Amino acid sequence: MISVYIEYVNARVRGMKRHLMDREFFEKLMNKPDIDAIITELEKTPYHEAIEKASVQSSGIRLIDQALRFNLVQTYRLILSLVRDEAFEKHVRIFLEKWDIQNIKTIIRGKNVHVPGDEILACLVPAGQLDEVTLIELIKQPDVRGVIDLLATWDIAYARPLTERFGKYAEKKDLAILEYALDRFYYERALQLLARRSIDDRNVRDLITMEIDVVNIKSVLRLIRDGVKPEDGKNVLIDGGKILDMQALLDLLNTASVRAARAALKDTPYSFLSTLTKKRQGNELISEYEKELDRYLIEQGIGMFKGDPLSIAGTIGYIAAKNNEITNIRIISHCKGAYLPEEEIREEVLYV
Amino acid sequence: MQEGHDVEQVNPTRMELIKKNAQIRLAEQGRDLLKEKMDALIQEFFQIMETVSTSRNELEILSEAARRSLLAAQAVDDSVALASASFASKRLISLDIKGRNIMGVPVPIIEKRSVSRTICERGYSIIGVSGRIDETAEKFERELDLIIGLAETETALRRLGGEIQMTRRRVNALEQVMIPELKKQAKYIRITIEEREREDLFRLKKVKKILDRKKKIKTEKIAGLPQSVLQEIAIETE
Repeated sequence: MISVYIEYVNARVRGMKRHLMDREFFEKLMNKPDIDAIITELEKTPYHEAIEKASVQSSGIRLIDQALRFNLVQTYRLILSLVRDEAFEKHVRIFLEKWDIQNIKTIIRGKNVHVPGDEILACLVPAGQLDEVTLIELIKQPDVRGVIDLLATWDIAYARPLTERFGKYAEKKDLAILEYALDRFYYERALQLLARRSIDDRNVRDLITMEIDVVNIKSVLRLIRDGVKPEDGKNVLIDGGKILDMQALLDLLNTASVRAARAALKDTPYSFLSTLTKKRQGNELISEYEKELDRYLIEQGIGMFKGDPLSIAGTIGYIAAKNNEITNIRIISHCKGAYLPEEEIREEVLYV
Repeated sequence: MQEGHDVEQVNPTRMELIKKNAQIRLAEQGRDLLKEKMDALIQEFFQIMETVSTSRNELEILSEAARRSLLAAQAVDDSVALASASFASKRLISLDIKGRNIMGVPVPIIEKRSVSRTICERGYSIIGVSGRIDETAEKFERELDLIIGLAETETALRRLGGEIQMTRRRVNALEQVMIPELKKQAKYIRITIEEREREDLFRLKKVKKILDRKKKIKTEKIAGLPQSVLQEIAIETE
């Protein structure tokens, strides 16, 4: 029965995949003279509904940003509705819950500095488990404590790490304490949920552990670049990576420079970091390495399409591909809006 | 017309001349001092201007880089992620402003802690915030540091510029209005006194001439009188 349903989900996802934009479409967008032309082009695609909805509230680049967010939320909600109450729902949830983490972080950040509710709401993307109504209720709370209490009242899992660390946050007034607790909880929980030996669990676990590696490498490179002491930096690292365990990460953190850290990754799947062009290495900008790491992760995610057609792999691949598409459209639109030359847009575009 | 009127109002006495000469000496001394002050201020002005000019260029480059990073962060990470990170790193920047004197000109000294922070000090978890956003924050923080530094030096520059302008106006007023006017008045007094002396001399000479003439006439008249009359006059005189 499960296999029949997964076939249905995969068939739906394959249908949605056909509507994803290809390289030719991005080239077409890059050749458009301005934002209005890009909007007109997007109106001819599955984004037309989102564009129409966003055009009521904004125009220009804001319209595109908003429309992309509307479309992302709509797509992910559709996927969630397809897999609801099924055995493989948790796999999809793991990827979409990142948005919940991001939304909760935004709300507590806003509450911490008393940002008006409507401003906080404008920064939320309800693409995860928590829908807009839930998020609005959270925004209505008077302070960080109220938000955590409400999450606990609703028995939402994120309340646990937040409650545990709230005392330390209240003492130090450092919001990062709560944020790290959330991030750590997300990955620990994901790994716990994927502890079974099924093919879906294995595939998704591979992807999550790879993501942990990527997140850790990014963190290490940033910590080294900023000269943060290794003993302070180790609190940022997350255990459970695919290739780099905690000891390997600590060794990496103790290297003298970003260059040395990259060299230390030579024998890992992340060795591509040391093959960046000299020009990009010369800048020593972490964003350059991040771009490569993100591209690698997206490639791995999209590569899931090639997985078992009777598994959830196709859906996970679609989530990665959709995210990639939206990011690319946003990059092209912003670069066009800033009148950047085409070569520079090509440099900026991440994951075509 | 006005100048002539002013000159006419001056009392042309020797005392007034001494007073005017003293005023001229004082004005010239003041002008020299002001010129020295102006030279020192100009020197200080150019030194600060060099710093300001370097900082301005640096600011322009940094500002361009910061805008570029912001564009990249908005494009790749979405503006909502950027706004969210900005909530976490929002804080007040406290500045302590003191003052110091440059040649009598009060200029501010802004005492502050650096606005630039490390990634662990920005208040957000680096796991959920991309390096692009970090780089954007870092560049804007450095820009803010530069702007605060520039606020100090540019205020000093503006105040020094104002003081130089005021000093130049004072020097010009002394050099082109006050000193020439005083000199003109002193000259007028001197000329008037000399003129008066010449008149006095001429008057004395004239009086002497009249007296001499009178004396001569009297002598001639006496000389023309008979001997008996002369004796009578002599007796009367005795």
